[in-house]
Amino acid sequence: MPVLCRTGCGEKAVLKRPKTGDALCKNCFYHAFETEIHYTITKGELFNKGESVAIAASGGKDSTVLAHVMKTLNKRYEYGLNLMLLSIDEGITGYRDDSLETVKQNRDDYEMPLKILSYKDLYGWTMDEIVAQIGRKNNCTFCGVFRRQALDRGAAMLNVKCIATGHNADDIAETVLMNVLRGDIARLKRCTSISTGSEGTIPRVKPLKYTYEKEIVMYAHYKKLVYFSTECVFAPNAYRGHARALLKDMEKIRPSCIMDIIYSGETMAVKEDVSLPTQRLCVRCKFVSSQEVCKACVLLEGLNKGLPRLGIGKSSKAKKMLEEYNSKLEHSAKERAIQDLNDHKVINGSDKCSSKGKSCKSGLCKSKKKYTEIDNHVNKCCNSDCSGRCKCNQSNDKENEGNTKINTLLEQYGINESSNDSGIDQNKLDVPNNDIVEDLLNQEEDPCSGSCGKMGSLQIGF
Amino acid sequence: MSFCQKCKLVPGTILLRLRDLYCNDCFLTNVSHKFRACIGKNRILTQNENVLICLNGGLGSTILLNLVLNGLALNNHKKLLITPVFFHLIGTEENKSFTKLLIEQCMNQNYDINLCHISEYMIKIKSKPKLNHIPERNEEAHVEMKKKLSDMSSSTRNDYLAKIKRELFICYAKELQCNSIFTAETSTTLAIKLISNLSLGRGSQVQHDIGFCDNRNEVKILRPIKDITLEEIQHYITISQLTPLNVRHAQEYSLQSVAKLFVNDLQQNFQSTISTICKTAEKIGIQNENKHKIKCLICESGINKNQCKLTALEATNYSKIVSMAQQESTSGIGSPIEQQFSMFPHVNKYLCYACSKNYSEMKSTVPLNI
Repeated sequence: MPVLCRTGCGEKAVLKRPKTGDALCKNCFYHAFETEIHYTITKGELFNKGESVAIAASGGKDSTVLAHVMKTLNKRYEYGLNLMLLSIDEGITGYRDDSLETVKQNRDDYEMPLKILSYKDLYGWTMDEIVAQIGRKNNCTFCGVFRRQALDRGAAMLNVKCIATGHNADDIAETVLMNVLRGDIARLKRCTSISTGSEGTIPRVKPLKYTYEKEIVMYAHYKKLVYFSTECVFAPNAYRGHARALLKDMEKIRPSCIMDIIYSGETMAVKEDVSLPTQRLCVRCKFVSSQEVCKACVLLEGLNKGLPRLGIGKSSKAKKMLEEYNSKLEHSAKERAIQDLNDHKVINGSDKCSSKGKSCKSGLCKSKKKYTEIDNHVNKCCNSDCSGRCKCNQSNDKENEGNTKINTLLEQYGINESSNDSGIDQNKLDVPNNDIVEDLLNQEEDPCSGSCGKMGSLQIGF
Repeated sequence: MSFCQKCKLVPGTILLRLRDLYCNDCFLTNVSHKFRACIGKNRILTQNENVLICLNGGLGSTILLNLVLNGLALNNHKKLLITPVFFHLIGTEENKSFTKLLIEQCMNQNYDINLCHISEYMIKIKSKPKLNHIPERNEEAHVEMKKKLSDMSSSTRNDYLAKIKRELFICYAKELQCNSIFTAETSTTLAIKLISNLSLGRGSQVQHDIGFCDNRNEVKILRPIKDITLEEIQHYITISQLTPLNVRHAQEYSLQSVAKLFVNDLQQNFQSTISTICKTAEKIGIQNENKHKIKCLICESGINKNQCKLTALEATNYSKIVSMAQQESTSGIGSPIEQQFSMFPHVNKYLCYACSKNYSEMKSTVPLNI
């Protein structure tokens, strides 16, 4: 006998919800999923009627589902919101260029206007170029800091009242753990609030705050939403990975721990005698900052001066670096003056590091070279005749990857015989259900259309 | 050869955090200073007051015993001015030979130890602790306790056991006229405890569970070796030739065991992990500390009612409702259906979030007046 939907609607259940452990049919799952987000939006008082709202869209599952659900709920419950999409192009070859195509697809599917801002236009640097400077470590710092500000700039351009981001429950729980591990008490305090932003800034809201990543994947899968599912090519070295690994291990033991961690973060208070940074405006770019000069400006200054590590680590280090740099500049200026006097046209060695095409002995430039080579290689590969096949391979890989991901998810939370055997489910369902999920998958020509199959084929087209 | 970085006279013998080199003497002085400084700067103890010192024979407990006895043995102005009352709670799975070894450990130092069974928790009128002998066990309570614990998931059991121990420590401290309690939690155990407590939803209780002083009850629980790491303890034990007993920790897969594995692994690669976690914990306090009127019946934490518009508690309950009931009937939020299906029994009325969650896993009733 198949497992019936928990609501008593008479339909066969297709999945077990990780948050509550209830088995639901497809339609009841859609309803529960959407109604919960509606509850979060109304209870959390995220929007006011008639407002313009920008949805921060990356083309990934979270923002795609957010755009879809926002459109649905806006219509169903008459929020009266004017929704639009806002994307940031970091300039990451093999990742963002492809995912932006998905965003464009979203724009057409959901009939929302789309605005794309690029790092290149805003800051004069793409992430590829930044990584060539900084190396594989710490590059997420640049990307994160720049994106934060880029979203603010984009929102100001679109003249919206707030930005909705696709942060899900897993992301937030992960951030709580990471801030504890890093000892970042200021971020620990604000990372769980559903709406952030002080006076004079555009607030950000997180309608998916209580929505599990797993359910988002399932929703997108069953609804056959088109999204882009590749991890950023630069992400694997991020410190966040530790927190993520811990959360995944804990989730296996008790799926509800994600909500428990969020609850911990929400009810936690910072002692009164702990000094926290105050938010103000950056003196240079006039965007929100906790320092006199915001991090984005410091990082950018470092890049432009050829000191990419300027904004990484303690600010005291940055000061020291700048001093050294300035004295070096002075020094080299002096020498140049002397050399000019002597009619020599040799450029001082100490200057070489900051100028591009010259040879350099310091480690920084070496790493730069190495990564430029890699980039060149990637570019060559993409530009040459083999690009079709090359991309084809890539997308095939993605297809397989995505497929295994949804399969493991379905194994855990979809209801079929194997989930009973696996022993992962704490409340075992007694009755095996005959291959609902497999049938579902077989109905579709492309088994992965929901998660990435379509994407894969799209990519080849592009 | 490199010299001790403290005295710079003697070659260093102990390398801490892969970086700091100490000689034996400086190291021992440093560890005992950490213990004394922790008690001294908090000014909580009054002169010669009775302090219940909880021992279990493990690494932390052995070092705590040693530090207290060293402090008492001093004959100068630095003498530790407390009257120790040693105490041990006998677990449900503990065998007699182990308990006897612990009694010996104490008797060898010419001190008495009070003993009690943890299953006394199930009995309303608790029997008095026995001195230097294993007290007789109430079999009925013992069986009931074991049954109750085996019904729970391992994560809940660990958490619940910690709460039981806390309650019993306080109860016997009162019995033995102590106003303060020393427990042997190290910075390593506290860092692990912080991570596991967060994952259990006890974020609002961090100050009491991880900090130096737990003053939820009039009997205060103090953690005097909270600044000493496991690494330091292991060195201390080798140098001082102490013999800790082999405490058997359950090797079950639980939130706590995962947190432990994680913290220890990360500490290997990032030597400042534990100290960072503990520093973070020190900065976490309690919301509106004086406004708490209701206390959780199990853990005595203050219950904060509806500080935020919406928390994970409401969101989880709402998820339960929409996945239980048919579509038409879910339109009304706050309907009686909400009470009926709540995943958190008695929450915010008698129990805190995490204890309520534990309670929902218990099949038999708790000795609570609910």
